[in-house]
Order: sequence, then C-alpha cells, then structure tokens
Amino acid sequence: MAVLHAWRAARVTPLGELHAPPRMTAALVRLVVQVVLVASLWNGLYAHAGPTAGLSRDQAVSYAVLAVLASRLRELDQYAGRDTVLQHMHFGTIVYWYLRPLPPARYHALRALGEQVYGAAWALAGYAVCLATGVVRPPESALVAGVFVVSLLLGQLVLYFVMLLLDQMCFWTLRNNAAMLILVFAQNLLSGVYAPLWFFPGWFRAMSAFLPFQATLSVPLSLYVGRIRPADAAGQLAIQAAWAVLLFLLTRFLWRRAARRVISQGG
Amino acid sequence: MSGSIEVRGLSRAFRSTVRRPGFAGALRSLIDPERVTKYAVSDITFDVAPGELLALLGPNGAGKSTTIKILTGILTPTAGEARVAGVVPYQERERNARNIGAVFGQRTQLWWDLPVRESFAILRDIYEVPRAEHAARLREFDDLLELSAFWDTRVRHLSLGQRVRCDLAAALLHDPPVVFLDEPTIGMDVVVKEQVREFLRHQVEQRGRTVLLTTHDMTEVERLAERVVLVNHGRLVLDGTLDEIRRTYGSTWQVRVTLADAHAAVVPLPGIALLGRDGPRAVFGPDGSGAPTVHQALKAVIERYEVTDVAIDEADLEDVMRAAYVHAGPAVEEA
Repeated sequence: MAVLHAWRAARVTPLGELHAPPRMTAALVRLVVQVVLVASLWNGLYAHAGPTAGLSRDQAVSYAVLAVLASRLRELDQYAGRDTVLQHMHFGTIVYWYLRPLPPARYHALRALGEQVYGAAWALAGYAVCLATGVVRPPESALVAGVFVVSLLLGQLVLYFVMLLLDQMCFWTLRNNAAMLILVFAQNLLSGVYAPLWFFPGWFRAMSAFLPFQATLSVPLSLYVGRIRPADAAGQLAIQAAWAVLLFLLTRFLWRRAARRVISQGG
Repeated sequence: MSGSIEVRGLSRAFRSTVRRPGFAGALRSLIDPERVTKYAVSDITFDVAPGELLALLGPNGAGKSTTIKILTGILTPTAGEARVAGVVPYQERERNARNIGAVFGQRTQLWWDLPVRESFAILRDIYEVPRAEHAARLREFDDLLELSAFWDTRVRHLSLGQRVRCDLAAALLHDPPVVFLDEPTIGMDVVVKEQVREFLRHQVEQRGRTVLLTTHDMTEVERLAERVVLVNHGRLVLDGTLDEIRRTYGSTWQVRVTLADAHAAVVPLPGIALLGRDGPRAVFGPDGSGAPTVHQALKAVIERYEVTDVAIDEADLEDVMRAAYVHAGPAVEEA
C-alpha cells in the first residue's frame, strides 16, 4: 500500500500536466526555442575564437544545451495548478497536509520525485533529438557517462533541498516571492545555466564553491563535457554528497519547526 | 472505535506584535516592538458523545476554528488536554488523522488540476482503503450527494456547491468515526445546503459518526444539532440544548396589543415592561432575566387589560444567538 500512495502522490503534477495540453505545448515550444537560441548563441560566440576558459566550441555548446535540458527537470507549472506551498499557505489549504496519515515531508518529497521523473522524460527526449542532430556531442566514454549520471542525480537531490528550503520559508513568512526571484537568479547564475562557471573570474568561482548551486548543474555538466576529468570526479561527487546530507539535515530540522507553525489564513 | 471527543481546560495563546498607528508608530514598532499574548481559546471544557452532532457556535474570532485546529492536531494547545477517539491529536498526528475527517469552509483538499475521482483515488491510497470498500462508499456518497454527474470534471471547473460536496465525500472516504466541519455550507445555495444537511444527518444517524460543526447558519443548527456549545472571546459561555439556549437568551419577545380603551392607564406587570405606547397601541417586552415566557406574558396582559387585537413577535434562533453573543463573555485576555 505504501508503494500505491507513493505512486499516486508522485504522479499528481505530471497527471495535471497531461490534463492541460496547452501547458504541454507551451513547454515544448519554449524548450525548442531555448535550445535553438542557446546553441546559436554559443556557436556565434565561438565563431571567431578558439578554446576559451578551457572549453572548446563543442564543449561549450553541449554544456549550454544540456543546461537548458536539465533545467526542464524541475520546471513544471505548479503555480497554475494552485499547488505551490506558497499558494497552500495563502489559501489555508496547507492544513490538509497535516490531516493525512502521510507526513508532509514525505508527501513533498514524493511529489518532487514524480515531477523530476516526468521532467527527466522531457529532458531525455530533448537530449535524444539534440544528440541525433549533432547539437550535443556524446560523452567521451561509458565511464564519463556513468559518472555524469551519478553526479546529475546528486545534483538534482541538492536542487530539491534548495527548493524545499524556499518552500519551508513560507511557514515563517507566508510569502516567498522575493526569495524565489533571488534564488532563481542565483541558481541559474551560480549553477552555470546562464553560462558555464569556467567563464567567470577566479574570485567568483571561489565564492560559488562555498555555495550549493554549482553542485546542482555545473559539476555534472562539466563532467559530461570533459571539463572535469573522471580522475577528479570523486572529490566533486563527495562535495555534492556532502551538500545533499547537509541540506537534508537542515530541511528535516525545518520540517519539525514548520509543523508548529501551520497557521492558515483567517479563523 | 469510540468516536468521542473530550476537551479539558483547553487554552491556546498566540504572541503577536502591536502595530502602532502612523509612520512614527510603525517605526517605533520596528525598533521597539510591543509583544502581546492573546488567548484565542481559554480554558474550554466540553465533551461530544459518540454518534452525536454538536454545533460549536460563536461570533467571528470567538475561537471556534482554533478549537477545531487543536482537535485535528494542527495546533498544539498552550494548556489543557484534548482526546479525539481516544487519541491526543497534537501528540499522535498520524494516528489521529486516520480517525478524523475535516472540511474547512471553502478551502478544498482536492487537487485543483485533476478530475475529482483522481483526488479520491489519491486519498484512498494514502489512507490505505481497500478498493472494494472505497467503491462501495463512493456509491453511497453518490446516492446522497449526486457526485457522479461531475466527478470526472477537473476540480478547477467545479462550482462551489459541487466542490464542497466533493470535499465532504473526500473527508469521509476513509470512514472516520469523527468529523470536523468548519462552516461547510458557507456561500452555498439553499438546495445544495439542504442536500448537505441531509448527508450529514445520514452520517450521524445511520453511520454513527461524531460530528463537530461550526456554522453561522442558524437554520442549519436548528435542523441538525440538538446540542450546542457557545464560545465567545475564547471562553465557553454555554453548553446545552437549543431549548436551554432559548430559555437563557431567547426572551426577546414582544407582545403588541390594541387596547379597547385608548386612554386606559397602562402600568408594567411583574416581569413585563411597557416598551411603547401610541394611543390604543401598547408594546410589552421582557423586564430583566426573570421575565415570563411569551405565552405567560400574553396571558397576563390579556387578563389585566381589555384588548381588541393582539400580536406576538418572538425571537428566532438568530435573534437568540445575537442576544447570546452580545451578552456573553469577558474581554479577550491579554498580557
């Protein structure tokens, strides 16, 4: 039965997407446009330049396009489904999370897992098309591919906890819009979605090394394109795992505190 | 399982910051915030027997919803104790969750983007309800609430009445012995309200569920509840039957008579005050708490004066509750 409820909870958002074809169409169009624009941009930037910041043109384009595809992993429209924690706090429906024999922390994690698996299906489909059309080059070896997958999974775990921290903030502030805007920008910048971190100055990379963001995307993508060699992967994976453990402990603590602060609007 | 509710000396305090008026006040509040403790619920004690429907009444901000939130395990009380079906709800939240169902007004627990039946299926699996049992219960609810006409519709497309009916079904799908309903029929039309009342009556009388209901709809109270608990300013004011409340607060009757002699001298009678006089017309009302009932008053007036016409205005339950709210309770306790 535990498997059943896990399955039911995990598929809520993907099922909501399937019931809203316009949203899926919009997501598809956006993904195609982003991939085309990003590939064009990086090809253009490298048109008259050799390897820069340790990345060749193929590496840079692959990195940038994979970043777009990976962003799709957690980009479902929960807001349209009135299903963000922020909205549940606003409408007072968060109380129902605490009225079920399923701990809110587990429910939240199952929902995120379902979303990430669904997003992965989109990303994989996009990856297959990009690979077939030569936009993205394949990993250099099976070892690189394997290390990339492990690193990507760890990165998604770190990303989940970072997003969870934002959701948990709503229990104290009732709103997280400003924090969300800052975080989305920081996440995109510091994880290398806008541009590979290798293009940033040394001090910037040193600073970002103390933050969890580069563990979410920059590390796995750098492993994929060969900017980080497999021989150096162990240390990076360890750092990712350390962030995952640290954030897990922090968010677990905050779930306990949040339970004391379930205040719905009115009444 | 016994669906009783026991509440003993329950209190819940909230700390908040006093917002001073004006720009300077706001600045001062920022630098030197003044914190106050307010009691949303203070020393409340009552019981609900298994299979009983109790109406928890009170004006806005009286503490009804806070009480329900404590009993559902969402809030922890500052003092006192509560047991719902033998479980302390705020200590054993998950165990309590299996024993209770709840509907909070227009706040839906259904998934906005999914058809209603998907929401039901999610809840079935979360509560681990066997499929055959779930199907049978769904059929029963459909008979009473006519859900099948719209249960394949996405929740976002339902009308309020349809959604609340679905929410009621969702709250009871796991067969809880205790149900908490916080203003479940607010904003609904009269037809749907009656349908919901019929459903609740069925759940109490046929299924033996214990229901704790809060509402501002006195028709609902009259039709569903035999017993009410009245709270005001966080304190319990009265725990009794509707008749007892009427006896305590309902003496807001008026006896209007037309006197045969327009110039006859009219004097107050024991327990009966003369409220107004306009030529032959006189209006009598209760005088103090020991006033007679409207029928006793009518008899006394007719025996004392020669009248050609008589009319009675008796307070309905809404008037009674208004009188009770105005009369009841000390100010909110602050520290």
